[in-house]
Amino acid sequence: MADLDWDFAFDVDHLDEETSRQPKRAPKTSRSRSKSVAPAQDRDGDVEIQDDFDIGAERDDGGGRGFNLGILGEEVDDGGEESLVQELFRHWLNERHSPDILPINEVLLAGLLDRIRKQTSDVQLLRSDPNSSEDEHFRIMLVQTEVERLKFVIRSYMRTRLFKVEKYAQFITSHPEVHDKLSKAELEHAQRYTQTLEAHFTNSVLQSLPPEQQSLNEDMVFMPPMIPEPDKNRPVFAHARRNCPPVRLPDGSMIEMEKGQISLLSYSVIEQMLLRGEVELV
Amino acid sequence: MALPGPLRTTITPPELELVASEQLVEIIPLVAMERTAFISGAYGPLRPPLKCKVPLWMATNLKMKKKCHIIPPVWLNTDYLQDRFNEETTKEEFSRLPFRFMEISKVLLDVASDDFQNPDKLRSLLKDIREARQAKSREGISKLDHSALDLPNLCAMEINEIRPFFVRAMGVITQLVREPEAGQAMEP
Repeated sequence: MADLDWDFAFDVDHLDEETSRQPKRAPKTSRSRSKSVAPAQDRDGDVEIQDDFDIGAERDDGGGRGFNLGILGEEVDDGGEESLVQELFRHWLNERHSPDILPINEVLLAGLLDRIRKQTSDVQLLRSDPNSSEDEHFRIMLVQTEVERLKFVIRSYMRTRLFKVEKYAQFITSHPEVHDKLSKAELEHAQRYTQTLEAHFTNSVLQSLPPEQQSLNEDMVFMPPMIPEPDKNRPVFAHARRNCPPVRLPDGSMIEMEKGQISLLSYSVIEQMLLRGEVELV
Repeated sequence: MALPGPLRTTITPPELELVASEQLVEIIPLVAMERTAFISGAYGPLRPPLKCKVPLWMATNLKMKKKCHIIPPVWLNTDYLQDRFNEETTKEEFSRLPFRFMEISKVLLDVASDDFQNPDKLRSLLKDIREARQAKSREGISKLDHSALDLPNLCAMEINEIRPFFVRAMGVITQLVREPEAGQAMEP
């Protein structure tokens, strides 16, 4: 684990601010609730972490809802919806494996960051209480471990996106249809990055070239395009989460992925299914 | 700030371990703990000696502090793995094993080898299975073509292992198939 723990300059709190601008969700209430509940908890000293988390408790049916593992290890689909954490892991892995930048799920991130903030503030509250027992320290440690795991995944997710945003900055800036996939901050970053890059190229080299060679987007025969674009033909490993409708392969034949099937296919073939959540990348 | 270079093309084994650590395992706790809400769900209460299901990361954490025993998953015992190994060597296809069996078995054998009856035998079986399967995935390269390749029963770690080569090879094959078509289209 230690090797994974890079020193991230990317601050999750900053991400918070970005996402909390999103209008649709009710974190404010939960936050203010946690504040008002907190002192009371502090006084009676034993209710703390557990019954505060209505969502966690409601969702759960005895064993938590990790990735359930059947006897043969197929991930059992218990019919219920996946938890926030499972959804985060799925989005993270999809983003890591996809050649193109995927639409950001701001509602999911906002929800998770809210939970993280809440767990953290509860932990701090408990820590500051001198009367907490050994048993509580131990629970605090577990809660913190989980928070750190999730922060790692969220950071890695954002950094993966950032890498793609920078790599395809010019492409993104010049294609408005891609803008919806990015958060406001990501889009601003892409635009600023493009400007800076172009200014730098112009100042350092391009202005000394003849005018016809100054463009950053020349169509040269036998040369790859100057603006990198996501390679949608790159093959990916797709795992069908449910039975999928048939799709056409580049050679014209049809393929129908059954639930649980894993195939190596060109990204363009499964793109729509991936966006609909029917397949995930592994 | 952006993702470091080596991580851009594929995911790393420690990261796969992180993913696998979300899966649930059964433990026999040695300490009591109230039911506690975590972000992924509520776990507990821990009441020794009653069994309880917790995520693998929690089990490893508790185990390292000697606060629990881990009950091995049903597939992680010598009989079951011996059967899979026999299948692996006699049949052509991959045998059915949990998608993340490599990560889980590694984590469990690392931290909780004293909870297994015969950890050394298990390790050697797992290694044999891995080698038999590796040989098969290498043969699988010959089936690679430009459109689609089914990979039944392949596990996460194996996919990750073959990914760089398969992705690149398939990219090259696709290019080779496409180019003559483009050439033909140009000629009347």
